[in-house]
Amino acid sequence: MGGTASKLPKDLLSEYQELTFLTKQEILLAHKRFSELQGRENGPYSSRVSMEKVLTLPELKSNPFRKRICHVFSTSDLRDGSLTFEDFLDLLSAFSDSATLEIKSHYAFRIFDFDDDGTLDARDLEKLVNCLTGETDDTRLTVEEMRQLISNILEESDIDKDGTVNLSEFQHVISRSPDFVSSFKIVL
Amino acid sequence: MELREFNNQVHPTPDYPSPYGSQHSLRLRTVPPQETSAVQFDWASPPEDAEDSNEPPNLRELPLHMGLKRAVWQVQQMKIPVVSSSWNIKQSQTFRRFCEVAKHVLSYFVLWKRGIQKIGGHFGGGVQSYFLFLRFLVILNFLSSLLIAGFVLIPSIVFRSMNFNSTIPTTVNLTGVEICLQYDPKPDTLMVFITYFLDLISGTGFMEYSYLFYGYYTNFNSMVESNGFSYNIPLAYLLTAAFYFLFCFICMIIRMGGTARVAVVTGGGATGGYSALVFTGWDHGLQEDRTTKLKQSNFRYRLQVDLEEERLKKKSASLTLSQTVSLYALRVFLNMVVLILIGATFYGIAKATQFSQLMKTTGFKGLVLQYLPSMVITASNFVVPLLCDKIALLEKYSASTTVILALLRAVFLRLVSLGVLLYTLWEQITCEGDISKQNCIPCNYYYDEYKCWETRVGQEMYKLTLFDFLITIATLILVEFPRRIVVDHCSCKLTQWVGRQEFLVAPNVLALVYSQTVVWTGALFCPLLPFINTIKFILFYFCKKITLFQNCQPATRNFRSTTSNFFFLLVLLFGWMLATMVLLYSVTKIHPSYGCGPFRFSPTMWEVVPQAAEMLNSTSAEFLFYMGSQKFSIPLFIFSCVLLCYVSALTSVHGKSVALLKSQCKLEQRDKQFLVRQIEELNATVQKEQREPQQPQRETDTATRWNQHDNYAFDRDEDPRPY
Repeated sequence: MGGTASKLPKDLLSEYQELTFLTKQEILLAHKRFSELQGRENGPYSSRVSMEKVLTLPELKSNPFRKRICHVFSTSDLRDGSLTFEDFLDLLSAFSDSATLEIKSHYAFRIFDFDDDGTLDARDLEKLVNCLTGETDDTRLTVEEMRQLISNILEESDIDKDGTVNLSEFQHVISRSPDFVSSFKIVL
Repeated sequence: MELREFNNQVHPTPDYPSPYGSQHSLRLRTVPPQETSAVQFDWASPPEDAEDSNEPPNLRELPLHMGLKRAVWQVQQMKIPVVSSSWNIKQSQTFRRFCEVAKHVLSYFVLWKRGIQKIGGHFGGGVQSYFLFLRFLVILNFLSSLLIAGFVLIPSIVFRSMNFNSTIPTTVNLTGVEICLQYDPKPDTLMVFITYFLDLISGTGFMEYSYLFYGYYTNFNSMVESNGFSYNIPLAYLLTAAFYFLFCFICMIIRMGGTARVAVVTGGGATGGYSALVFTGWDHGLQEDRTTKLKQSNFRYRLQVDLEEERLKKKSASLTLSQTVSLYALRVFLNMVVLILIGATFYGIAKATQFSQLMKTTGFKGLVLQYLPSMVITASNFVVPLLCDKIALLEKYSASTTVILALLRAVFLRLVSLGVLLYTLWEQITCEGDISKQNCIPCNYYYDEYKCWETRVGQEMYKLTLFDFLITIATLILVEFPRRIVVDHCSCKLTQWVGRQEFLVAPNVLALVYSQTVVWTGALFCPLLPFINTIKFILFYFCKKITLFQNCQPATRNFRSTTSNFFFLLVLLFGWMLATMVLLYSVTKIHPSYGCGPFRFSPTMWEVVPQAAEMLNSTSAEFLFYMGSQKFSIPLFIFSCVLLCYVSALTSVHGKSVALLKSQCKLEQRDKQFLVRQIEELNATVQKEQREPQQPQRETDTATRWNQHDNYAFDRDEDPRPY
């Protein structure tokens, strides 16, 4: 193992620039941070970093959705949330400054879909609210408040009244909110 | 855009990864949780339509992971060899690359980008919006000071250094007003240091007769015959001031444009926004454990408050008549109290201004007297909003209404107190508008007191700016740092209850709006004031950042950034309007000083413009006079009203279309459910027939199940499971 950090080859760099919303500087910075996570310096393009290591990044460490984010962007067959460098780039691209509203809302929907069934039902919403308010017992809402909140949410956003929020309805709610694009952002 | 988007979502276009897999999962929803691995939604289904488009789909916007995107890209590359379209594609690609490079280069020039990002990460979006607003004002002031320097300051310096004498135009009749021409502010050459310092702070003495104030500029014009070059300084002065106001107005409108569109679309409002709050409320840029926990408790607080408000609303709809009447009576009474409080403040400011204008002591006592109006305004701006907050608690409004009401009262107080100060000055200078009064007889303004009234007004604005800056720095050093030291090191109950300073965004933004309004009001009389303000705001940025990180805890109450951004810009616009009124009045109505300034021989400041227009050739002069006349302005006004009506009609039509499409969506889903049930019924009866062919077919009544709401989705490819 030499002391020199491996550099990203130019054609790969331009390919990543073409396929993601990241700029050249951002891709190089991501490469550097990912190599540090790995501890090795050669060929991180297809080898995986486990979820625990990824969650040591300061940008993800305190995010209550960190595990869901890793699961959503992971392409691992074992579904263990481990990320390759390309998954990492996908993550940063979706959370970047220049990503479109459609991409951000698509991935937000997948992150909030805790049981991965393609819609947000009452159980998903309850887990979502618990993530937002804190997971411990004294920070949760009461059962009564949770019930009132979930019925309000479904009443507002479930247009076709099937008891769940699907992707289109979710994107409709998102499109009316002005702060979403600026808050759905992670920058290294 | 909204209509098309909505249409696309109701009937998704084929290149959208179609959720065929969802039908599997919805039907399997009753499977117990241990088997959820079988219920995974398949998001990796490739897009269906990859050809037949003149432009290739933008790969970044496909929500697939990198391997699949690469595959799509390679397929695209293979399809490209049609000659003409490949040139187009290359063009668009190079253009896109160029835009990216340009954006990247420009991002280096964004002021304080990293600092503000760090602030957002640690303290959230609300505090960040304050710093973004501050940055906007810094840039605005800097550009304005460049404008003024270029057109007014530098030519004045150049001409003065070339030793031109100011000429008295022959057309002016100066009999009877010789007394008004006397104005001698030249300072003593020998000065004690303390006098020097006092002069610096109050704008008198050596500061008075300098480029800082209006009085130093003279009416150089029509000169340098040798080069055939002439520069009309009075005209430049006036037009630069007008253009400065216009420039600020355009910048504010552009900035409001984005936030206004968004604020109108979303509407705002606390109750009814639950889904938006839950889906979009989390700020993923937050990076610290402490901040995250605070944000979570913030969230919980806000949700609980909103739910509580909803319950209260339902309850209050059932208040008895006597309770409602008493509540409204209480509110009216408290509003009267607030008005009396504000009225008393205004009276105090007026009295203080009159007193300080008429007293003439020098030295330290004189300095205190000169700063008396500023002190009274600052004190009232501090005390009265506190009292208003306490009063608002008694009024029993909902939480969001209370916040808005408090902000409105504070804004009203600040801007109108400045207005009272200006009114008092005007009263004194123009003898209450009546130029036939004893004091105003020869010169049309109060000559004895105000030998150069524009400079005096400029000095007042200069003092207000400086005092505001000193108070902020003093608060920082004398209040916030000690508070943090006491709270951190002394652990008695009182200090823990008081706690660390919280960075309240709204009062800080209102302070910025107030400073900016003062600068706008004073810019005509003190041309270097925007430059001073730029430096002041830059120092504010660094001081506020230091105090934020050292002394403050993140706000426990949430702060809606975008509707509030719009509100702050709106308040800034009100301040601008106040300043514009002052400008227009002083330019057109009050007689400029005879003793000083570039307009000393015109009856009003505005007169230089028609005079200059007359000197142009006849067609241009006629055109300009036509533009200023009523024949032009009234049709223009009518036209803009028509445009406004058209745009608002368009908005309401769009709103109605959205409602219509929503109900259409509901109906379509009902149709789908009905058809699914019919098919299931048919399948069930067919299967039953296959198993028991002898039994007669039973007619099932599908119409009765029309109104049930079940989770079935329409799927052609899979056999329905028998339930």
